[in-house]
Amino acid sequence: MGDKRLEQLLLTVQKPGRYSGGEINSVIKDKSAVDVRFAFCFPDTYEVGMSHLGMKILYSLFNEREDIWCERVFAPWIDFEKVMRENNIPLFALESRDSIKDFDFIGFTLQYELSYTNVINMLDLAKLPLKASERHSISPIVVAGGPCTCNAEPLADFVDIFFLGEGEQSDLEVIDLYKKFKANGGTKEQFLYEASKIEGVYVPSLYDISYNIDGTVKSITAKGDAPKTIRKRIETDLDNTYYPDKFVVPYIEIVHDRAVQEIFRGCIRGCRFCQAGYIYRPVREKSADTVNRQAKAICESTGYDEISLSSLSTSDYTEIEPMLEEMLSWTEKQGVSLSLPSLRIDNFSPELLQKINHVKKSGLTFAPEAGTQRLRDVINKNITEEEILNTCKTAFEGGYTAVKLYFMMGLPTETDEDIKGIADLAQKIVDTYYALPSKPKGKAVNVSISVSNFVPKPFTPFQFHPQITREEIIRKQQYLKECIKSRKITFNYHENKTSFLEGVFARGDRKLGEVLVSAFKKGCRFDGWDECFDLEKWLCAFSECGINPEFYANRERSYEEILPWEHLDYGVTKKFLICQNELAKKGETTPNCRQKCASCGANIFGKGVCFEKR
Amino acid sequence: MKFVSHLDMNRFMIRTVRKAKLPIWYTEGFNPHPYITFALPLSLGFQSSYEIMDIRLTDDNYDINGICEKLNAVCPEYIEFFDACEPILKTRAVAFAHYNITFDDNKKILSLFLEFLNKESITVSKKTKKGDIKQFDILPKIKDLDIKEKNGNTHLSLTLPAGSTDNVNPELLITAFYEQTNTDYYCYSVERDLILDENLKPFR
Ligand code: SF4
Repeated sequence: MGDKRLEQLLLTVQKPGRYSGGEINSVIKDKSAVDVRFAFCFPDTYEVGMSHLGMKILYSLFNEREDIWCERVFAPWIDFEKVMRENNIPLFALESRDSIKDFDFIGFTLQYELSYTNVINMLDLAKLPLKASERHSISPIVVAGGPCTCNAEPLADFVDIFFLGEGEQSDLEVIDLYKKFKANGGTKEQFLYEASKIEGVYVPSLYDISYNIDGTVKSITAKGDAPKTIRKRIETDLDNTYYPDKFVVPYIEIVHDRAVQEIFRGCIRGCRFCQAGYIYRPVREKSADTVNRQAKAICESTGYDEISLSSLSTSDYTEIEPMLEEMLSWTEKQGVSLSLPSLRIDNFSPELLQKINHVKKSGLTFAPEAGTQRLRDVINKNITEEEILNTCKTAFEGGYTAVKLYFMMGLPTETDEDIKGIADLAQKIVDTYYALPSKPKGKAVNVSISVSNFVPKPFTPFQFHPQITREEIIRKQQYLKECIKSRKITFNYHENKTSFLEGVFARGDRKLGEVLVSAFKKGCRFDGWDECFDLEKWLCAFSECGINPEFYANRERSYEEILPWEHLDYGVTKKFLICQNELAKKGETTPNCRQKCASCGANIFGKGVCFEKR
Repeated sequence: MKFVSHLDMNRFMIRTVRKAKLPIWYTEGFNPHPYITFALPLSLGFQSSYEIMDIRLTDDNYDINGICEKLNAVCPEYIEFFDACEPILKTRAVAFAHYNITFDDNKKILSLFLEFLNKESITVSKKTKKGDIKQFDILPKIKDLDIKEKNGNTHLSLTLPAGSTDNVNPELLITAFYEQTNTDYYCYSVERDLILDENLKPFR
């Protein structure tokens, strides 16, 4: 395929800029001068993938090395996939437009379960055998990282290596090992065995899984001297961890079209439904100086006029006020606006509010997650109604008139009382507004409620719980709608059929690999996109493979059951998760890491919040 | 840059001007944004070697001579600024544009295209802003037509009306050629190399 023909074809599809490359700060190297070619694949659209911080970090980290050329690959949208298949265009990397089949590594980042069919589809578009066992040559090696690798068992048959935890070091160690093999010769099997000895590297083909008659896992056995358990890898000193000073700046508009500055990893809170809160433990911060230095460099090299801070629960950053003060001192001068996502209300001081206000007046958002105090205690979301109402009051006095509330539905122990609590809380916020003597005249308040479906995830205390059924979700949504009386409250919901599938794959095992292939063959891809998701096709795929999806989504697990991810070690122990689940049932909360260590097990990494003076 | 739409180009230029640290003027109001406009938006898929961009600075005494150098320093090599000056004409004064079209055809369509252009009239269809189809004869609109062989391929150059009053996209002619003559398809590229005023003088 000549470049000209490809370019002509690109003009027939939506947003050709997704596939054309050539963006500012993208890296072009001489392919004859590098040893390792790495195709970094994001199994979703360009606009989604290009917004992702982890990809930016690894892209730059790899390309810093002279011997590696890392290029980007995204899932082609349906229209371009059709063009590719009709014209026999293999999946290519944006920088060189070379087919990725001939690369040394093909690396996927797994951010959400619903991208799994895109992984399969991309391997197929690359014209590679899907199964790892059918790819005999040492290259390409298919690797995957990202949060889902804490249980990516459904992809175990297709991927050679999973990276657990943060990949900055283990990725490069695997690449170096590969270079040695390439120079000295050696089989793929030998290479994988050697790689499995690197911390944070999980080679699924080195583990045999056997099952009980009821379908649960009977045993997980390591082959040869492969490690019995595989521990995730983390960066222990974020001030000295690589952070890019350049981002590739897309021409077309992407989801988060701005500079991003990471400020810490992990979360001290321990909300019991939140996987990120457990798998990224322990909290490790960057110093305020580092944050400002890195943020400045990114703004300069990109020309972005907006920067956002990235972390979970941003307001838990210990030096938040001095850091913001310093940041505002230069952002204001340079006309850069600062946005702060994920602020929690319980330490949202009026001073802080004022400072942000300074910059940009966006809506006020809270995530109480549950409608009643009882259920908030169950999920360990330590916010009281009083705090929410007080913050709203302060915000209203500061001129805000719109409040967005995020909730979940289908949480363990939830009753209709808790659902009604969602409507009640929204109503109380409306009442708070109208009770204000200083409320702005002629302006109405708007409280919007967004409700997502709870999906139990591995490595959380709720990993043992059944997910509620679709029928039950629909009933609860209907009930909530009836509970809302005020026209000042808007309730956003859509049926959300995808959460069932997400629930199946989140706690899935290797038997689901077959279902993935079957669904892919039926045309399933972009399952996270409403316009593409097709539940019927999926149900067909499950029944063809003789697999009951409810076994994965809607079944309660006993504490004794061997879970498909039991051989993976994220620091947090199963004992701790069980204990947390018991506390949840009793409605007892657990203090956050800075108040009191709950002995979750993540101190095994020897650094971070676990060793701060309290 | 072919795949960069007009809006994307605008955002790209805003970032470029920021990187070059020019004292760009921001509009006032709720959502301030830098003031940047192009004299004539370029269609997706076209290349261009002559573009006019209008920016506004906060400092009237800013040294205009150094601007191109500053912008070029932060731009990739496929974008180059040639000259900066105080505005002379209003965007309204854009009347024509000149295009070079190169086919990848080994001269296979040269004679066919010549023959096609010799017709009495060539009806093309164009979508109007309202969404309905308008048909018209494109021949009288074409000026300075030249068709010849270049590097073994067919090369067409022509001037067409452009701007806010009448705008004729050269794609219309090419589509009409392929559709009305049933010729095998060859790839082509379109480059716009001049923006002209009503006297066919370069616009600036
Ligand atoms: S060991 Fe203690 S301080 Fe460290 S992450 Fe776990 S609960 Fe928090």
